[in-house]
Amino acid sequence: MEASSGFLKKMIKCSLIEEGTAKPYKSGAHRKSLPEWDRDRCIKCGVCYIYCPDAAVYRLDDGFFDVENQKCKGCGICHSECWFGVISMVEER
Amino acid sequence: MDKFSLFVPNFLPCREYFDPGNNNACPGCGLALGVRHVYKAADKAMEKALWENISDTKFFGIKTNPSLLKIKQKKNELIICLDNEAGGSLRDALKKQMPGMAVAEGFKYVATACPSYPFDLYDKVKKALDTEGKSYIHILCPCPEGWQFDPENSVKAGFSAVETLAFPLYEAVCGFYTLTVKTAKPKKLSDYITIQGRFSGVTDSEIAEAGAIVDKEYSKLLEKIQSSYSYTFETTGKVY
Ligand code: SF4
Ligand code: SF4
Repeated sequence: MEASSGFLKKMIKCSLIEEGTAKPYKSGAHRKSLPEWDRDRCIKCGVCYIYCPDAAVYRLDDGFFDVENQKCKGCGICHSECWFGVISMVEER
Repeated sequence: MDKFSLFVPNFLPCREYFDPGNNNACPGCGLALGVRHVYKAADKAMEKALWENISDTKFFGIKTNPSLLKIKQKKNELIICLDNEAGGSLRDALKKQMPGMAVAEGFKYVATACPSYPFDLYDKVKKALDTEGKSYIHILCPCPEGWQFDPENSVKAGFSAVETLAFPLYEAVCGFYTLTVKTAKPKKLSDYITIQGRFSGVTDSEIAEAGAIVDKEYSKLLEKIQSSYSYTFETTGKVY
């Protein structure tokens, strides 16, 4: 039961005491790392944009892509799907 | 090589209807990615159509656990099943009965899709919304938490499911089947099973058994495709 009690303690820590939903809580806040683009090698294909489950990647005016910090959950799909390895996941602090 | 079709993401409409701030999906959620592309494809239907969550209803007389989404328009009705295979055994994961049942029930347009193939998914939702009558789309959504793999492999898991023939992508228009994503060289089924932590207890003999199920299901599908092909060819003289 050790493992499950540890798990429970963790879950109790993240319970919402106020009424309502989890809407106002930015899920991007607990990610570990954030993608970073190496502009020199990017061919502007848009694969990173299309596979982001949280629609966090957006196109800049010059055709390159960047991430919206508030939305990204740090899953790393953009990093693993870009064929040229343009995106690296950089740990935050 | 078929990955090269992915060069055109820039042609997709860039309007986003999906608000990630309003969901608490885990990182790398295949379901979120699927819904995002469904919304993108639905485009104008987003505002006019009636959206309903019918997850708890009985569908085809069986109790369903996947999430079902209903888009109701004036002329048609689209039911989308977002299947993350929650709680299913290996057998359940490989035998998908819902699309077949939908065809038998007389749905005009039935298709299977996966968010790893966003263009395929996009086309199918568009087609379904243009079809008069009822349509059904079954979307396989890799779930990093439930299937127990690294979130960054979420899209790869979808590729793997299709490439190992565990989840072939096809559509059935008025009961006539066609494969939409063709797999020239299928990969071994064990590739798909071993990347998932949820099947870590599966033995080799069980994998062999599962392989037999997949082969059987796929040959059944090929038979259906073959017969619909020859039927349309004989009756209309056209190759679609
Ligand atoms: S997938 Fe890679 S090469 Fe393509 S646009 Fe994104 S960063 Fe650039
Ligand atoms: S890490 Fe995941 S959530 Fe963040 S931008 Fe990349 S794909 Fe999107």
